[in-house]
This record gives sequence, structure tokens and C-alpha cells, in this order.
Amino acid sequence: MRHGMPRLIAGRTLSSLSAIFGASLISFIFLRLVPGNPARLFLGQFASQDAVDKLVEQMGLKDPIYVQYYKYMWGFLRGDWGFSYTTGQPVTTQLGHRLPATIELGLYAFLFAFVGAVALAVIATYRRRPVVDGSVRAMSFFGLGTPPFWFGLVLLVVFSERLHLFPGPDGRLSIDSTQPPSITGLYTVDALVTGNFATFADALWHIVLPAIALGLAPLAFLVRLLRANLLDVSREPFIVVVRSKGIGRFSAFARHALPNAFLPTLTAAGLILGQLLAGSVLVEKVFNWPGAGALVTDGILRQDYAVVQAFILLSAVVYVVVNLVVDILYGVIDPRVRVVTAVA
Amino acid sequence: MTSGLAGRGVGVAGASTPPPAVDDVLDVRGLRTEFVGKEGTVSAVRNVSFTVRRAEKVAVVGESGCGKSALALSILGLIEPPGRVVGGEIWLNGRDISRFSERELRAVRGNEISLVFQDPMSALDPVKTIGAQIVEAIQRHQPNLGRRGAQGLALSLLREVEVPNAERRLNDYPHQYSGGMRQRVMIAIALANEPDLLIADEPTTALDVTTQAQVLDLLEKLVSDRGAAVVLITHNLGIVAEFCDRVQVMYAGRFVERAGVEDVFRRPTHPYTEALLRSVPRPDRLELGPLPSIPGSPPNLAHLPAGCTFEPRCPLGHGREICATVPPPPIQVGNPARVVAECHFARERWEAGEAS
Repeated sequence: MRHGMPRLIAGRTLSSLSAIFGASLISFIFLRLVPGNPARLFLGQFASQDAVDKLVEQMGLKDPIYVQYYKYMWGFLRGDWGFSYTTGQPVTTQLGHRLPATIELGLYAFLFAFVGAVALAVIATYRRRPVVDGSVRAMSFFGLGTPPFWFGLVLLVVFSERLHLFPGPDGRLSIDSTQPPSITGLYTVDALVTGNFATFADALWHIVLPAIALGLAPLAFLVRLLRANLLDVSREPFIVVVRSKGIGRFSAFARHALPNAFLPTLTAAGLILGQLLAGSVLVEKVFNWPGAGALVTDGILRQDYAVVQAFILLSAVVYVVVNLVVDILYGVIDPRVRVVTAVA
Repeated sequence: MTSGLAGRGVGVAGASTPPPAVDDVLDVRGLRTEFVGKEGTVSAVRNVSFTVRRAEKVAVVGESGCGKSALALSILGLIEPPGRVVGGEIWLNGRDISRFSERELRAVRGNEISLVFQDPMSALDPVKTIGAQIVEAIQRHQPNLGRRGAQGLALSLLREVEVPNAERRLNDYPHQYSGGMRQRVMIAIALANEPDLLIADEPTTALDVTTQAQVLDLLEKLVSDRGAAVVLITHNLGIVAEFCDRVQVMYAGRFVERAGVEDVFRRPTHPYTEALLRSVPRPDRLELGPLPSIPGSPPNLAHLPAGCTFEPRCPLGHGREICATVPPPPIQVGNPARVVAECHFARERWEAGEAS
């Protein structure tokens, strides 16, 4: 028991690494199975067959697939992610331009979904007013059934076109705003640490609508989950026992019901954060958001292996790391998890 | 608790009700608790009155679903919607706490009255350490002790309830404790602020028999050391005989018999009490055949019979006109009065018992 946490962390890290390995293997093989010749794509349809054959040789596409995989992974680990077959740019440069925008949007969408879900679930369950509970449930029903790109368009029409409260679909900043120096690549963070508050406000102002559009469905999902868990836990005898000690209704709710109800929500939140960081093509399109989504869809359409491969692998790493963090957090919050691992 | 005049038997409450005797810790008068459900209003506690004197141990006995737990929660003011205490007074140490605000009640709960809950497996927060859960109770009512002091007191309480290796086990979590050990922790929490009254709701039901005896012995020792009064809610008559001074038998939300332990076991006056006693397994009755059970099941509290609530199951009253139509009043028997039973035939039964 005393060594529960280090053991938990070691075990989960090991299984995370194997998950990443599996994801890399599968994505690598599947992309190679797709018909088409990348050398031909790269050189264009008027290049001679000789030139194409030569390039195929050069790119190592004649090697057995496990050699190709080994070479790719070795390069990937050293930061050499290959070149885009269509533009000739290094993949690291291309993704480096686009990923921060996607990550920033994903983080804000997650923040909106998570904070909103906790607030709404608490409001729905704490006082047990049927009207409040009913409206929260209706909202989450709406949120789950609404396609995010459509909701994004509605937000644009209402809050930008009609009410002029938020900017239209012009990307991450207004044209007249100065771009912050690139530290993390997240404009709001970079602007804040360099004390450029005008840019910070502008970046924040631009990210609100797309973050809401992207975060609505996860918010709805988390509200449902947390609400159900909170109701279950509030009916547990230990809540009555806590109250019988003279602890108030709110303290019993905040200090005892909420942490217990949080556990299953944490897992779901991890999965959602992983998804949100991988971005959403349609929402990025609607808001003209210069994220990785468009880059990757183009890559898929043009069979640009290197870009797609790197993005898939990166998403897998992010997804697995986020869930690793969730697993460890779980162990911190719930003592029972530590014991289970120690026994196993 | 505002519109309970009908249940009080006294005109305007407060001014005209005399405060209870000084040596009564608890004086419950005409308590009524209802739950509003799909089938209509369910009366879980129907006009119940009783007193508990200092350091006295009183049992509340009855089948499951007769309103015992609702009674406990009503006294603590912890009935949650759709339930509601609709009438009555609850005098604790000379103050009617049924009129208290939630804020005032919080100062009473865990301090003057505390609760030992029935199922130790689900009565502790699974994600907080045992120590933290004891300390929470101490700090709520003795803030002047400070964090250190509260932790020290928690440790000595855990030692007092005989948890081995108390120092180390303070930092353990509930799932690392056995059922019996958890119930000891519950007792430690309940006694943390030296309450005048402890309500123990089926404290040993979930435990195996040897553990039951240990926990009960411990409870008995600790409450008598502190001079606390106990209301023991149980369906286990064996425990009652060992532990309590007086017994109140609850049926369908009412006390149908109130008597001393001796009287209840020697000569039960209410037919329900007698039936309960007969369904307790006893080694000396083995040759008499299978254990008798009470036919039928407790009445639906949403649709109570017009007369005596026990009439449909009663070997004595079943089919008798008066039992089926008129609710029996509380009848005092004995000279001086020592048993109260809500049965039309209480007097006859008492006299028959005297003759035998």
C-alpha cells in the first residue's frame, strides 16, 4: 500500500507506451496499404517513369515495411518527421504552424465544457428543484444532438452578424492586432506573459465562439454524467452521516458528494480532452481557424503520408498522455485505485 | 414543522406546553413524519411521543419498514424531501429543537445528539481517511482545540474504541477496515463531542454475531462512562434484552407498546409484541417445531386499515368488529401504571398475564 502510487505510475506509463507503439504500428501499416504512389504524387503526372522509380528508391519505399517503420520511428523520435510530398516543406514546420492554433482552441473548448458541466450539474442537483433540473437536462439533450459546425454557424449569425458582440470568422486575431512573440504558440498565453494585454483580449475575443461551438457536445455529455453521479452519491448513507456530525448541506455536498461523484467524470473528461486537442476540421473551417484540421484533411485527400502519419502519431501520444495523467490523478483522489494496482 | 397542531393534543404549542422534566434528555411529543410519493402520502411516523431520561437506554423495536429509521432522522432534523416532519415537538435538554433553524440544528447535531448508522460499509466517505472523518466531527463543534488537538483527540478516540494500531490506522481509508472496525469508527465519531444522546440505528445488523457482541459491549461501556443516553433502534430482540432499560415496540409508524424490558419479555401485552418474541429463535424451544413467523406483512403506510393497524395479522383481533373499525387508544396497565399498549384488549391480556 505504501508503495501504491509509484507502482501505479510505473505500471500506467508502461501500458501507455505500449498503446502508443500499437497506434504507430497500425497507422503506419494502414497508410501503406492505401493504393497510390507517393513518388508519382510528388513529381507530378508528367514526370518520367525513370525519375519516379529513382525517387521511390531514394524515399526507401522499396525497403521491407518493417525497415520503413523502423526508419520512420527513429526519425520521428529525433524530430525528423519527413517532408510533405505535396509542398516539399518539412512536416515539423507545417504542423508547427498549425498545431498551436488547434491546441489552444481545444484547451479553451475543454475549459468551457468542464467548468460549465460542473457548474450546471451542481445547480441541477444541489437544490433538487425539478424545474432547474429539467432545464439543465433539456440543455444537455440539445447539446448532444447538435452538430458543432451548425452550432458554430448559428453562433456566428447571432453573436457576430446580428449583435456584433464577437468577431466574425477571421481566424485567431484581428488584422490590426500585433501577433505575440511565439513562446508556446498559444496566443492568449504568449500575449499574457509578454504583457501585451490588447492582443490578449483580442485573442480571447476571437476564441470564445469557436470554443463554445466545439465544447458544447462534450459539455452536454459531462453534465449528464456528473449529474447522474451526483444524484447517486447524494443518496449514499455516508452523506447522512456527514450531516449528522453537524456539517451543513453545502459543505457535505462540496466536500463529500462532489469528490466522489467526480471520479467517473474524470475518466470521461480525459477522453474528451484528448479528442478536443486533436481538433475538429469542420469547426476550424467554419471559423476560418488556422489549425491542423485543414492541413490534415488536405493531406488525406492528397495521400500526403508524412503529414497524416505525423498527425496521427502525435494525436495518439497526446491522447495517451492525457489519459495517463487522468489515471494518476484518479489514484490521487481515490485511495481504492492505489490498492487494486498494488495487489495486481 | 409548522402545522402539526392536530397531532399535539395540546392547544397552542409552546406557551401552553410545559417544558419537560429536567432529567429528560429527550422528550418527543406527537411527532409526525410523512413522505409524499406516487401512491399518495405515506405516514412513516404517526403521532409518536416518548421520553428518554439521562443515561437511559431505550429500545425502539419493529420490523423493517415500520418507520424506525424515519423516526431517527426526524429527531435529527435530517428528513429530506419528499419527506417532511409535519407535526410535533422535539424537546432536547429543555429546548424544542423542532422549531430550530437549520443553522441552530447544525450546532446540535453531532454535539448534543449523534447518530450511529446501520450499515458501516456505506456510512463512511470512501475517499477520505478515517482520521479526517473523525477530525471533521471534532473540529465542527470544538474549533478551539485546533488542528493538532483535534487530531490528538481523534487518536485517543480510536484507541478507546479498541482499533488496534490506532496511530497508523488513522491514515487508512475505509476500505482498509473490516465491517466491525468501521462500526467502531462510527462509534468514535458519534462520541467525539460527548453527546447527551446517541441514536444507534441498527448498529450491529450488518455485522457477524461475534463482532456484534464486541461492538455492543464496547458501546455499552463507552456510553455508561460518559453518562450518555441511548436510543437503540433494532429488530433484534436479543440485543434489547441485554442492552436496554425500556422498550418501545413500533408498528406501522406508532409505538404500540411501551414497557420496561422485564415486562416486555415476561408478559408482552400487545399481540404484536408477543408475536415478535415468539419469532426469536431459542434453543430451548427447538422441539416445538419450526420457528413461528408473523403471518402477512406490515401494512402499506399509504393505505392504513381503518381500525387497529395490526388487526389483519392479529391472532386475537382478526375478525373482531372493534379491532377492524376503531383505532385502539393507548391503554395504561399495571398498578402503578408501567405498560402502555395500543390494543383494545390490553387490560384483559395484562390481567391474564398476572394470573399465570
